[in-house]
Amino acid sequence: MLRLFLALPAALSIALASAATAAADNGLTPVTPESPNAHAIKQTYWVILIITGVIFVLVEGALIVFVVRFRGRGRARGQDGAQIHGSTKLETASTIVPVLILAAIAAYVFVKLPTIKNVPPANAAGGSLKITVEGHQYYWKFDYPGGQTAVKTMVVPLERVVELKVVSPDVIHSWWVPSLGGKIDAIPGRTNHTWFKAERLGFYEVRCAEFCGLEHAHMTGYVHVVTPTQYASFLAAHKGASPALGREVFQGVCATCHGFAGQGDYGPPLKGNAVVADPAQLEKLLREGKNKMPAVGATWDQETMTAATTYMKERFGGG
Amino acid sequence: MAVNTEAAQPYRADWKRGGLTSWITTVDHKRIGILYIVTSLFFFLLGGLLSLFMRAQLATPNEHFVTRGQYNELFTVHGTTMVFLVVVPILAGFGNYLVPLMIGARDMAFPRLNALSYWLFLLGGVVLYSSFFAKGGPAKTGWTAYVPLSELQYSPGHGQDLWILSLHILAIGSLATAINFIATIHNMRTAGMTWTRMPLFVWSIEVYAWLLIVILPVIGTGLVMLLLDRQVGTHFFIPDKGGSALLYQHIFWFFGHPEVYVIILPAMGMISEIIPVFARKPIFGYKAVAFSTVGIGFLSMLVWAHHMFTVGLGWGLQSYFMIVTLLVAVPTGVKIINWLLTTWRGNLIFDTPMLFALGFIAIFTIGGLTGIYLAAFPVDWQVHDSYFVVAHFHYTMFGGAVFAIFGGLFYWWPKMFGRMLNEKLGKWTFWLMFVGFNLTFMPQHFLGLMGMPRRIYTYGHGGLWEAYNMASTIGAGVMAVGVLLFFINAFRTNRHGKRAGNDPWMADTLEWLTTSPPPPENFTQPVPYVGTARPLRDLRLKLKERDERNGA
Repeated sequence: MLRLFLALPAALSIALASAATAAADNGLTPVTPESPNAHAIKQTYWVILIITGVIFVLVEGALIVFVVRFRGRGRARGQDGAQIHGSTKLETASTIVPVLILAAIAAYVFVKLPTIKNVPPANAAGGSLKITVEGHQYYWKFDYPGGQTAVKTMVVPLERVVELKVVSPDVIHSWWVPSLGGKIDAIPGRTNHTWFKAERLGFYEVRCAEFCGLEHAHMTGYVHVVTPTQYASFLAAHKGASPALGREVFQGVCATCHGFAGQGDYGPPLKGNAVVADPAQLEKLLREGKNKMPAVGATWDQETMTAATTYMKERFGGG
Repeated sequence: MAVNTEAAQPYRADWKRGGLTSWITTVDHKRIGILYIVTSLFFFLLGGLLSLFMRAQLATPNEHFVTRGQYNELFTVHGTTMVFLVVVPILAGFGNYLVPLMIGARDMAFPRLNALSYWLFLLGGVVLYSSFFAKGGPAKTGWTAYVPLSELQYSPGHGQDLWILSLHILAIGSLATAINFIATIHNMRTAGMTWTRMPLFVWSIEVYAWLLIVILPVIGTGLVMLLLDRQVGTHFFIPDKGGSALLYQHIFWFFGHPEVYVIILPAMGMISEIIPVFARKPIFGYKAVAFSTVGIGFLSMLVWAHHMFTVGLGWGLQSYFMIVTLLVAVPTGVKIINWLLTTWRGNLIFDTPMLFALGFIAIFTIGGLTGIYLAAFPVDWQVHDSYFVVAHFHYTMFGGAVFAIFGGLFYWWPKMFGRMLNEKLGKWTFWLMFVGFNLTFMPQHFLGLMGMPRRIYTYGHGGLWEAYNMASTIGAGVMAVGVLLFFINAFRTNRHGKRAGNDPWMADTLEWLTTSPPPPENFTQPVPYVGTARPLRDLRLKLKERDERNGA
């Protein structure tokens, strides 16, 4: 019995480990990390998973063993069990052992913490790239050091350290790209910082993790990791009030409520709408909001505004 | 007298005598306890219904069962209901009913205040649900009502104001109850009942009451500030005008974290009453269990900012809150080990209350262990505000607290109503709830790790996202059937259930000395001197000894 009891946790840990590694991103562990901080978080997760896994098996195992072993077997209710009132030795042990286990977990966190929180020094790919992330109801806006603005999709070069300054002009949001590290809140009146260094090309999903209102579910976006050449052309295309930015604003901001073809959804259809055809009126609406329409553009610079109104007029304002 | 006989003439329940007015004017702690429990169960059905709507909406991607606005109302009212209108008051109900009986008292210390508490609770619930008819509908900012989202600019209409009013009313009622419990426990224990001979449930209600007294004024203050911001034009929490959005979170969680221990501690108290009776043993380590209750209560006031690991606190603060949070696991672990050892070498009888108690251990252990992931703050940065957290707190609050409450209902029902609940239906209830619970909430851990944030009304992913969500919805349905069976059980046994007698479980504590249900004055004969923590067992042994002597 005892041997079985000790073998059980080992067997289950192995089963758990193989299940978790067999198929990636099945929910047993955090998603595949693609940045040094995300790697370190996942390693910490693994250490806790193994320790708590063993405790889980010991406790649930003891529960099952005791239930089976000491079941009444139809004995009368009047028949007492062993009248054991406690054991000071055992109580002391059951206090000290958990303290030691928890101390080990805390120590591991402190060992891993520098890799997670400290921004690594600049590398061969150039100095760090500093981007300001603005969480808005209900979209993400990115300001690049060269003055470029992007909405919904943040384009960054591979293997470059990206430092994020995370802010919000309205309510609290939370920046979360599971593959590129943990989340950090965008809080009005505060500036928060985080970073990542993407190790693989591709799209990584961004979510807003703090409930921010009606369209919280659709406050999504992407980090698009590209080659340095692609990054350079992205920057070039986003100079000034570019059509590229106009399209992003429509897709990232307007389409959430008005539909991806502007056909109308929660908000009215855009096609043939008189306000959309008039950049001045549209700017006023975007800056101030009206009824259900929030002031989505309250903090936009003139370039972003022009890009948006121009794009909207060209796409929906005509006849 | 202590030996149970089904033929024993049951006392004609006091509450079967009067009509509606007798209920409205009652100051009897037993009637008030029943009012609390029945009202909470009603709100439990309402809150449960809301959660079924949410699960229906999330069953498949891009579902349109409810609208985005309705969904936000659903989770706000569901959370507020379950915390403030179900679990906290139902525990107040059990406390009301049981504490005077367990300590051999005639009633609570302040019976009229006690009645006021109940009516405030009912009023608070009515105010919350009335907000469905308010301009702009009910609050839709979650049970936490974070600012600035809950400020007037982002949440116009009266829903949020009614939410604040409701919580205020409930808090005042709870505060009065807490004072009442403390006065009762400190002053009205029967002869011989020292602190270390007190039932462990009474210990947990003592800590419950102290925690409420410490935290309710704090949330009251926060709510007044929010109300002033919304209605008078102050800007405590409006950053644009110099206020602080974080201040609200500190205030809320200084209340909010102990609040969940207000819920779990009496639930644990129930487990500590049930397991020994169905293991036919004393609790293993009475003092360790009692003092760990105090320890958890104390630590709960020092850990609030572990709900705020992603707001960008300094490293020192985050480290402090991690360490203190991890420390909570120590007294919690002590309890789990002591419950397990209470079953060791026992004569285990698997009646429904025991099944719920053992189910509680099985489930709560998981909820406790996932708490360690959340305490380790870098890991929390991944799982915070994701479905992992939703799973974690349902493992503690539902699989923990509500399972204990169901165990308590099955255990004390005979005392309250004089008839046993049907065991067969009871076992069905347990197994459906146990399987349904795990099917609902286990996959939510996985969803959180895969990147599903909480409080989203829809998602676009298929594959495993859809499979886990579908499993979760099916599990919720299975649980609902189990809960429904409980209500069928209650109605069916009301007239035709087996008579309980004084002490159907051969239990240890004083509430089983008197008739079921007890007379208005609680005890018709003098309460014996309490020499140990198990006065009724002592009495049984004494009677047996006397019979043997007489027989010899």
